[in-house]
Amino acid sequence: MKKKDFLIAGAVLLLAGVLTLVLRLSGGDPGGAVQVKIDGKVVGTYALVEEQAVPFDTDYGHNLLVIRDGKAHMEEADCPDHYCMEQGEIEKTGETLVCLPHKLVVEVVSGESSDVDVVAK
Amino acid sequence: MNHLNKTIALLLALVFAMSFLLCSCAEKEEEPVSRDLFAMDTYMTVTAYGKHAEKAVDEAVRELNRLDALLSTGKEASEVAALNKNGGGDLSKDTNTLLKAALELYKSTGHVFDITIYPVMKLWGFTDQNYKVPAKEDLAEALQLVDAGALDYDADAKTVAFEKEGVAVDFGGIAKGYASSRVIEIFREQGVTSGIVNLGGNVQTLGQKPDGTDWRIGIQDPEDEDKMLGVVTNHDKAIITSGGYERNFEEDGVVYHHIIDPETGYPADSGLTSVTIVSEDGTLADGLSTSLFIMGKAKAVNYWQKHFKEFDMVLCCDDGTLVVTEGIREAFSPADEDATVEYIE
Ligand SMILES: [Zn+2]
Repeated sequence: MKKKDFLIAGAVLLLAGVLTLVLRLSGGDPGGAVQVKIDGKVVGTYALVEEQAVPFDTDYGHNLLVIRDGKAHMEEADCPDHYCMEQGEIEKTGETLVCLPHKLVVEVVSGESSDVDVVAK
Repeated sequence: MNHLNKTIALLLALVFAMSFLLCSCAEKEEEPVSRDLFAMDTYMTVTAYGKHAEKAVDEAVRELNRLDALLSTGKEASEVAALNKNGGGDLSKDTNTLLKAALELYKSTGHVFDITIYPVMKLWGFTDQNYKVPAKEDLAEALQLVDAGALDYDADAKTVAFEKEGVAVDFGGIAKGYASSRVIEIFREQGVTSGIVNLGGNVQTLGQKPDGTDWRIGIQDPEDEDKMLGVVTNHDKAIITSGGYERNFEEDGVVYHHIIDPETGYPADSGLTSVTIVSEDGTLADGLSTSLFIMGKAKAVNYWQKHFKEFDMVLCCDDGTLVVTEGIREAFSPADEDATVEYIE
């Protein structure tokens, strides 16, 4: 009988553990990804592990987002200033690429956490 | 006995399960509430924590849109556009506050901060991205209009009159700092004790992070967009960086940046590649970041020594040397351990 008690207790503990794990994972970290918003609306989420080139063509204009080696950068853009192409590569949570004229924002939503909260620039 | 064991074991297991669940709930409560928007020619994010966060960030977004509509030189319906069109006029509460701050900065910086630089900025195309190096004669003519000291400002009547035809003002040099301060004020009014505002790289913090530690604000490396100069830990501060790297264009192999020296009408060439101001006053921090960039190291250090109670700074010189003032000596840590850092007392 004692053995069975422990088994039950063990099973409940295991269940609690699994439940916690599921809860954490569902709210947490499925690996790095970038979320793309145009004019405030989310138009897509793209995994950073996957090498890909994603074009965005809207009434505002054209942008080509490239993901390579776990980082994202703006490869092409027909905006007048091209600042989005000069913002380097992003990989850590919260980092962004912004194309102001096209109202397009690429943000790392779940990735390696950053050492800083925000970068002043 | 058997029964008791069983009950205890089950109870223990339940307590375990509950504590796990509670833990993940507590974490949820500290989730930030964020909103983002495009305003003042930049991308903005406002973030607040706690139970008042939702209302506070909504209120903040409203305020930022209102200030954008009020202060944008490019929007015909804005108050600033009307002032420029009519050669002055009545000032609203916000523009009155801004003009007062602008004129104080004009005085304290020895005329380096000048909101009447607008006609010169226009010639360079920095106002509408039609970049070009202006003809010398045009520049000389536009420079004639630059003189904030000639603005006929009546603080009591809250009016301003421009003396000359063609004079125009732009609060762009302090507008974002003023806006981030307004957001922090709104956060406070709404009962928020922890939040952070990022207006296109102009940062201001309220309180500490919900976990009770200071905010960690990186400072952009002007030479490499993927790197930082260092980190400033802080609470209740505006952290504003200016540098030639932010906005520039190239013509005939020469790079021209957007921080124009009102003395010469040309991009400042003072030996600094960026200036970061840390201050409780966002408006001041914004205005000083460009002004001290124009001044260069020697004058900037001199200015700080006279006004050290109001702000601290990190200067990045073109040889890579960092100049850090006493008040943030402990709070600042350079990203490159081998960097030459000069501390000013
Ligand atoms: Zn762009």
